[in-house]
Amino acid sequence: MTINRVPGIVAVFSLMFLLQEALINHVPFIIGGFSLYLAFFIVWVMQEERGSAVASGFIAGFIADLSPTLEAPFGLWSFVFTVVAYLVANNVRSALDSDLSPVTISLVAVFGSATALVMFLISGAILGQEVGSANYVLKELFGNSLWTLLLSPIYAPISIKLYRATLTARNR
Amino acid sequence: MAARGSNRTRLLWISLLVTSLFLITLDLRGVSIITSIRSGVQSVLTPFQKAGSSVFSPLGNLFDDITNLGRTQSKIDALKEENEQLKSQLILNENIVGELEQLKGVLDLAGQAKFKVVPARVITRGGTATFGETIVIDKGTSAGIKRDMTVIATSGLVGVVKSTTTNSSVILLMSDPSFRVGVRVAGTQDMGVLSGGGDNRFTIQMLSATGQIKVGDVLLSRGSSGDRPFVPGVPVGKVSFVESSAGQLTKQGRVEGFVDLDGLGVVSVVLNAVAGDPGEALVPRAPKPAPTVTVFVTPEPTPSE
Repeated sequence: MTINRVPGIVAVFSLMFLLQEALINHVPFIIGGFSLYLAFFIVWVMQEERGSAVASGFIAGFIADLSPTLEAPFGLWSFVFTVVAYLVANNVRSALDSDLSPVTISLVAVFGSATALVMFLISGAILGQEVGSANYVLKELFGNSLWTLLLSPIYAPISIKLYRATLTARNR
Repeated sequence: MAARGSNRTRLLWISLLVTSLFLITLDLRGVSIITSIRSGVQSVLTPFQKAGSSVFSPLGNLFDDITNLGRTQSKIDALKEENEQLKSQLILNENIVGELEQLKGVLDLAGQAKFKVVPARVITRGGTATFGETIVIDKGTSAGIKRDMTVIATSGLVGVVKSTTTNSSVILLMSDPSFRVGVRVAGTQDMGVLSGGGDNRFTIQMLSATGQIKVGDVLLSRGSSGDRPFVPGVPVGKVSFVESSAGQLTKQGRVEGFVDLDGLGVVSVVLNAVAGDPGEALVPRAPKPAPTVTVFVTPEPTPSE
């Protein structure tokens, strides 16, 4: 990844963070909640190469850590996003064709988001965070997966377009 | 060449993971710069959250109505009678009336206990799908709000102030898994600790082996030293289930909160409890049963008889 892409990535993820905090958090989803930021990020790293995926993961995680309503220690999302970015870029990108179908993108977004949330939960628990009841955790995971799947026709094309917009001529 | 690229990626990955762990360590050691960064971000976000709140508030009510369809059936039926032109206006009016009712209720509760309070509007909820339960209100240090103050709503405890900026505050809701509050049972004064579980149901663990609870018992906050984080006497919830297991040292149970944490529009932050512990003055009274009217019908003899 060229250093020239960093301001673009920071700008895009800051915008998504703002959308999540100022708008999406207001929507009372019927089951669980929806993290647009996380779903958008998974679709983003699906298109990245390994090196740039981990860098994007760290940047996106760092911005997610800035959330003032977050109960977890600062740096936890950076850690989780960096690991998930590596896993997605290493496994999904190499295992699938370069042209991913919309269904594949949606399913990877669902599994990627769920994996990130489970990792967040486990790492948080190791660091002494309270997890909540099993019912609550399952409801949140199921709700987030459901909305990530249902809303993928909206956020996935936006993520792909914004990703392409941040590419420099050399990357293209 | 490819192997060199792969090694470089791994090196970058490990460096970023170590950086993340370093950040976590700094935060867990209480380095104040991390807290300051988050407060700074909250200050930047507040105007956007307020704008989002004004846009989404009527929509939020709509979603709320959908989720509570059974309970709001009569309300929906009444709305159906209104003509189409008035509908949009009605939704806006309902929003304002709902907030006024909540404000009146919370001020009544505060007035009864002689709490000095600052009313505030809820401008957003905390990050969804992140296993945390928080809200953001539109009042901060400029209104006298400080960290660790009690937050109440119409029917009781909502949570505690987690962090503040000049014009906003983040409230940790009592449903958050990390939330703990000392409670006492109204009447018996037995003490316990209530914990959040993620949704609107809570667990209680009594502190002593002799402490008793039964279904229907009302729980009140026990209060903290200097009234922070909790002022005493605030209704917290009602015991809905008591676990009976021979191996338990102390009684445990499940509690239903008095406040609907999903439908919060207006809350109040308690600045101080002027008159001290209100005792059991705030225990919700059971509604008086309506008098039963009995009508005796005396059969009149028909003219043919």
